[in-house]
Amino acid sequence: MIFNSLTFLVFFAIVMALHYAPFFSWHQKKINLMIASYLFYAAWNPPFVILLWVSTVVDWWAAQWMVRAKRERTRKLWMLTSVVVNLGMLGYFKYGGFLLNNFVAIAGSLGVIYHPPGWDIVLPVGISFYTFATLSYTLDVYLRRSKPAGHFLDYALFVTFFPHLVAGPIMRPTELVPQFEVPRRATANQIFFGLALLTLGLFQKVVLADGFLAPVVEAVYDAPGKMPGMLDAWVATLAFAGQIFCDFAGYSTSAIGVALCLGFAMPDNFRFPYGAVGFSDFWRRWHITLSSWLRDYLYIPLGGNRHGQARTYAALMGTMLLGGLWHGANWTFVVWGGLHGLYLSVERWLKARFKGVTPGRLAVLGLALLTFILVNVTWVFFRAKTFAGAGVVLTGMAGMQAKPVALIAFGPMIIAMTIVSAIFGTHLAMRNTTLEAVIERTPSVAIAGIWTMLLFAVIVEQGQGSAFIYFAF
Amino acid sequence: MPSSISHSDAHKAEIRGVREGALPAGLRQTAANRPGQAQPVPTRDIPLRPWVKMGLSVLMAVTLLTGAWEWNARANIGLRAGDIDDSPQAWAEQRRLADTAPVVIIGDSRILFDTDLARFQQLTGIRPIQTAIVGTNARALLESYANDPNFHGLLIVGLADLSYFRPAGVGVGGPYLKNVEKNGKPSQLSGLWLDRFLQRYLAFMDAEYRLSRMVPRIDHGWRKGVDSPYEDVWKISETFDNRQYFMWGRIETDAYLRGHARHAWNLFKGPPLPAFIARNVVARSAEAVRRIRARGGEVIFIRPPSAPELRAVEDKRLPRAKGWDLLVSGTHSQGIHADDLPQAQRLVIPEWSHLSHKCATVFTDAYVRRLVHLTPRLKLRADAPPPLSRADCVPQNIASL
Repeated sequence: MIFNSLTFLVFFAIVMALHYAPFFSWHQKKINLMIASYLFYAAWNPPFVILLWVSTVVDWWAAQWMVRAKRERTRKLWMLTSVVVNLGMLGYFKYGGFLLNNFVAIAGSLGVIYHPPGWDIVLPVGISFYTFATLSYTLDVYLRRSKPAGHFLDYALFVTFFPHLVAGPIMRPTELVPQFEVPRRATANQIFFGLALLTLGLFQKVVLADGFLAPVVEAVYDAPGKMPGMLDAWVATLAFAGQIFCDFAGYSTSAIGVALCLGFAMPDNFRFPYGAVGFSDFWRRWHITLSSWLRDYLYIPLGGNRHGQARTYAALMGTMLLGGLWHGANWTFVVWGGLHGLYLSVERWLKARFKGVTPGRLAVLGLALLTFILVNVTWVFFRAKTFAGAGVVLTGMAGMQAKPVALIAFGPMIIAMTIVSAIFGTHLAMRNTTLEAVIERTPSVAIAGIWTMLLFAVIVEQGQGSAFIYFAF
Repeated sequence: MPSSISHSDAHKAEIRGVREGALPAGLRQTAANRPGQAQPVPTRDIPLRPWVKMGLSVLMAVTLLTGAWEWNARANIGLRAGDIDDSPQAWAEQRRLADTAPVVIIGDSRILFDTDLARFQQLTGIRPIQTAIVGTNARALLESYANDPNFHGLLIVGLADLSYFRPAGVGVGGPYLKNVEKNGKPSQLSGLWLDRFLQRYLAFMDAEYRLSRMVPRIDHGWRKGVDSPYEDVWKISETFDNRQYFMWGRIETDAYLRGHARHAWNLFKGPPLPAFIARNVVARSAEAVRRIRARGGEVIFIRPPSAPELRAVEDKRLPRAKGWDLLVSGTHSQGIHADDLPQAQRLVIPEWSHLSHKCATVFTDAYVRRLVHLTPRLKLRADAPPPLSRADCVPQNIASL
């Protein structure tokens, strides 16, 4: 089930009715939420609910046995059990075909011809997200950052809680489990603000990402054999920058709004990322819950910045390369992560080299623009399905296409660039504030007017119920 | 060791979780600000605004705007409730029924628009399953049925020659074929049912009149070398239950929309199809037909009519002898060509490619009466209605079309 579907609206209305029904105890309400979350997930593919159960039960018991263990080796064994089971499932479903294809290619390059049967495995929706969420539970317990949850129901609900289940924000148990321990009841103000956030998220996804930006992106990226010129290649890539932001931030905003309506707080996942000045700033603003997860459970254990320059750069690159692979079983994603790793490394070196230099306002603006442009270069590898496809677009962006053809009509081009400019401008203007603070300074009539137009646009656009891009990750 | 999951912190968590009033930006921290530690319950601040009043106002305003939009859809655009969009999910629903159905139709938009399923049922007692798809190569659909071990019924393959004999590519139906299983999942089915329910009451819910379809049409070919959205095919059909398509009434009555639709076809211009492509297509078709027959199924080809203006181009690129005739003989199949049906001559084809609503019924009547002579799988009912003729669908002022 996806937020931008009629099914979800009906589902959500029922969940709200049950959640605020006076005759259920808090314990029963939590059971209701868990059943609803399983239904939410099963709506895609019922058998995959088993994976959720496996993940839930294994990690629950791994943490329980970890705290009861007397010896450090036993604790480590339970931690490794959790890691192997979770990453094993992720590896089998997400990376099995990728590994097999690479094995065949390597064998072929060595003269061994091997034709395995096709790897016809369906990727369970959101497996990358809930795998990371449950892993953080056992890892936090192992690292002695937190104690295990007190009740199985609270933990099981943390894993399955439908607002964050399939596309994040990737929540840590310490963020959500305590919220299940006491009855939660949103005030009317919270519910309506939650609905406003849901509207904003749906507008970003249905109207901007799917309606106006995706067709411009597809005109170039899904046009095999056609060579885009500089204008088309840049417009399509900029449009994709807007699309991926509106798609993913739209999901996160919707998820936060939905949770708020139920009385729960979820963390920010985006902080106006295209207003970032530099790449470390970008990663503090883009998919925050993933970047912080990678930092806490990969970068720091790899040594972080505690073992000298060389080790720091190696940890940075390793983290970003694996972060790229997390997004998809394709070498293009690895290159995407690698480019970000490279950017971060260069930025780190420059900061050390020019320590003490404080850029002026104009320089900050220039650096923000440079960051945005370089991020766009990485999006080419994120969006293109193959290196050949990425090469075609990059050649176009560099203005080196021998015989470029026009691919994007002028009208859609203008609309897409207006949207992307508005996104970039908004992010720059709001980089040091929050949406809530801006809303609080804006007259109620203006807020209501904007809310009306967003909701009306969502209704008129209708949407095709297309899945969020990050569901595939 | 910090323990954010303990009971003792639970009360604090509730207080910390959601608060009234917007926090200054620096105070609402994220996980990015807290490296290497257990993350606490996040803070969500609610801006101090009269949210209930604003929400109710928004609800009223959106209801009014939507009502006005619905009125505009009916009064000015000519949309009507009950015209339910087709979708990959709706197609998958029919495709699942096709496995056990005695008669199934595949093809492109011509057989889709030009077959009146109710008339077919009146004549034979059987309502065929409609699985033709607009803009799709019928050969790809034929091969998909050939690959389906469960299918052993009568397959009616409707085709527009240039679509069927295209060298490669499935067309619009590619994702339909690829995602049959996915489109049968609970979330897809429930979405389909709810969408249908709403479309029975709301006219504005038409995919062709979505915001993102209408706005780009302001571009009347502003950029040289690119087809502008204005040049795309706009709404030309209405869809009813079981994927019953008919020509949209406004195409028959509105000269501007009719002219636009004709313009969008661009007369199917292109170079003549090389003979080797036709031979290859026939060979692949013959193999698909052979496999269906081996399981006890049967295949019959139908070529619906096109207007003389379009037909001239079609014949130039692929003459009947080098396409249709070769296909029928090469697959050892029965075929019904519109040219050979006396009752199907000079019917109304408003935008040159698809029959008018009424003439679709006449054409269906004509081809079904021929069909029953070609296969023992269909019989004309004893109480079948009398035959229809051109006079049943051609308006008096035909010259204006």
